[in-house]
Amino acid sequence: MKKLKKVLSGDIRQYTMVVALAALILVFNIISGGKMLTPSNFQNLLSGNAYVLILALGMLMVIVIGQIDLSVGSVAGFSGMVMAIVARDFNLPWWLAVLIAIAIGLLVGAWQGFFLSKLNIPGFITTLGGMMIFRGAVIWISGSISVPAPSELKFFGAGYLPEWGPNTGLNNSTLLLGIIGILVYVIKQINTYKHSGDITGERDPIWVPIIRIAVVGSVIGYFTYLFGSGRPGTSFPVPGLILLVLILIYHTITQRTTFGRHVYAVGGNKNAAALSGVNVKKVYFLTMMNMSMLATIAGILFVGRSTSAGPADGTSWEMDAIASVFIGGAAVSGGVGTILATMVGGLVMAVLNNGLMIMGVGADKTQVIKGFVLLAAVAFDVYSKKNGKDSIIGRIFGKKK
Amino acid sequence: MKRKIMSMVLATAMVASFALTGCGSSERAQEVAADTAVVEDAAPAEADADVAADDATAAAGEGFAADATIGISLPWLGTQNWKEAEVMFKEQLEAEGFNVIVQAADQKVPQQQQQIESMIENGAKVIVVGPVDGSQLGSVLEQAKDAGVYVLGYDRLIENTTGVDGVIQFGSVKTGELQAQALLEGLAKEKGEGPYNIELFGGGPADPNAPNFFKGAMSVLQPKIDDGTVVVVSGQMDFQQCATIDWDNSKAQARMDALLAGHYSDKEIDGCLSPNDGIARAIITSCEQAGQPIPVVSGLDAENESVEWVWAGKQYSTVAKPTTDLVGKTVEIIKSLQAGNGMPTTDVLTNNGKKDVAIYELPPLVVTKDNAMEAFANDPDRLALLK
Repeated sequence: MKKLKKVLSGDIRQYTMVVALAALILVFNIISGGKMLTPSNFQNLLSGNAYVLILALGMLMVIVIGQIDLSVGSVAGFSGMVMAIVARDFNLPWWLAVLIAIAIGLLVGAWQGFFLSKLNIPGFITTLGGMMIFRGAVIWISGSISVPAPSELKFFGAGYLPEWGPNTGLNNSTLLLGIIGILVYVIKQINTYKHSGDITGERDPIWVPIIRIAVVGSVIGYFTYLFGSGRPGTSFPVPGLILLVLILIYHTITQRTTFGRHVYAVGGNKNAAALSGVNVKKVYFLTMMNMSMLATIAGILFVGRSTSAGPADGTSWEMDAIASVFIGGAAVSGGVGTILATMVGGLVMAVLNNGLMIMGVGADKTQVIKGFVLLAAVAFDVYSKKNGKDSIIGRIFGKKK
Repeated sequence: MKRKIMSMVLATAMVASFALTGCGSSERAQEVAADTAVVEDAAPAEADADVAADDATAAAGEGFAADATIGISLPWLGTQNWKEAEVMFKEQLEAEGFNVIVQAADQKVPQQQQQIESMIENGAKVIVVGPVDGSQLGSVLEQAKDAGVYVLGYDRLIENTTGVDGVIQFGSVKTGELQAQALLEGLAKEKGEGPYNIELFGGGPADPNAPNFFKGAMSVLQPKIDDGTVVVVSGQMDFQQCATIDWDNSKAQARMDALLAGHYSDKEIDGCLSPNDGIARAIITSCEQAGQPIPVVSGLDAENESVEWVWAGKQYSTVAKPTTDLVGKTVEIIKSLQAGNGMPTTDVLTNNGKKDVAIYELPPLVVTKDNAMEAFANDPDRLALLK
């Protein structure tokens, strides 16, 4: 037991959510007779939920600074619609339309950031206004009619990586991704191991990194096989790859940069942060701007997958994103929460949705179940904090100090 | 304290968001269905429209097991016609021995996309889709095609994709013609000699059927407008001017209020072209509140409340598109596919932006007080309303 704790680097309960996710997947797989763990289902799971997970990345940072953004769905719908309309009416190439959409996202974010940071209007009000403004604007500019999007975008919203090189039985792009993933993890573990004795003067036993590498390596290996062994022409989906890249970027920003530390500082105690020289207004502004930009990317991916931008795109997406963040253990009062835990939270929701759908459970009951899961996860988290222990879920992937 | 405030705020946010969503998705309760079906090979759908029709007849499929899985993806269950479809599909397909999955998407496009994917995962051989938005299922339906699944559009055209084999719906242009004819007939019968003062209403612009209803109606009304038999007092005769966003009854009522206030202070209104029953009732209510006589109003869908109004002489006509016909035709096509006979032939083709899709059109039925008894003879629920 002690050894197990060592491998997990600390409290075994920190891994509750990850274990819950794995258990969910396995249980659904058994109940559905193996329909859960199939290449096509996991490809769908990623392409179909990438947009929510991308929103959740930005939402985590917004919630960590103690704010909330209700406008993300409307902003995603609005910028996707602008993109489709400029591409159609002005015959712009798809990449230019995408750039215009992202520029719009940044502008919208700057607008909301301005109200929050300069005028001190709470983010809740600012973005409630934004939610109405941009939902109305989508319907207005589209005349309530869906607009076909440039067909190239389908690659980003529902496409697959190319096949090349020798016949390995797997999609080679996916295989390459998997190998890179494993290598990166191995190098990281070796580094951690080398430095593990820096403070205590006593290195971790050598079997610790080895077991970790074996476990994580086989998980990555399994998923590489799963995604790579689909029907010819499929691979790890492109929206999934975009999501992975964004996760890496935002994990690095929040955990390893000054800005990231400022985000947590502002969320933890705004006044203390200001007194220690953190530019609170700048943190507010940039976080809101970043959120709207990510909403735009989510909107573009969704339009790509749908092949058209519709007037109702984005409706209630903000709720899915917020739920992912809280299931991932973020604190309602701000200051706590990590990118990786949020992704696990989002995946729990996605897997629940997907598994219940495969079993043919109706949308009504699925909604009820998801509501209970959200409550249970947050209640569990709050309860463990109350008992004087550290927040469990919130620190699953938190920095170990 | 801070946390308490935040959680209140959050709760409010959730409520607000749900409320807003609710308004956004008010319904297009109508639609017409026609039976369409094109047969195609299970191979990836090539968007070759000319060929599609011929192929449809020639390429009889190989059929599939008699207990195969059939997926039914409906947009929501919030109006009578969709709820009826859910029940009938389940009963009829199960009676044929199929394994049926019926799912409704709650008016959410992403949910419908994921539901269709899960049907493919479950090995469905045919997927019947009543789309939330007919143009937003492109990549998902093409994926179904690639997996060798037959895709049938139900009640609404599926646009902007090559992944559809055919659409079963009621003829929408024909519906519009019938509505206009019923309006003219009602005017002659109830409002004496012309000229008649009328106003025009259209459906939700996002619904591909709505402009077709209007087009069909105008093809009948335009000659009468030209010869002065009927007068559109407000002069609003373009579809865009007359459209009712989201088929939202309250928007139609607000427009009627404005029309009556602006143009009818010294006139009486004789008739209104209404694209569906909900809007018809909104128009009638508006006239009653403005102290106007009840005009002759057309309708569509034979909703229970309007069936009562027609029987009471309040709403002149409605158009029934019996769900049982639509479901029956769809089941017939599924059985043909199962037996390996491919899609039945059809003459009607509509370009959906990517390919010519075969349309199986069913004839709608005008119902007035005079023929209501016969029209609903086989529909005990609605027959019970006639008393």
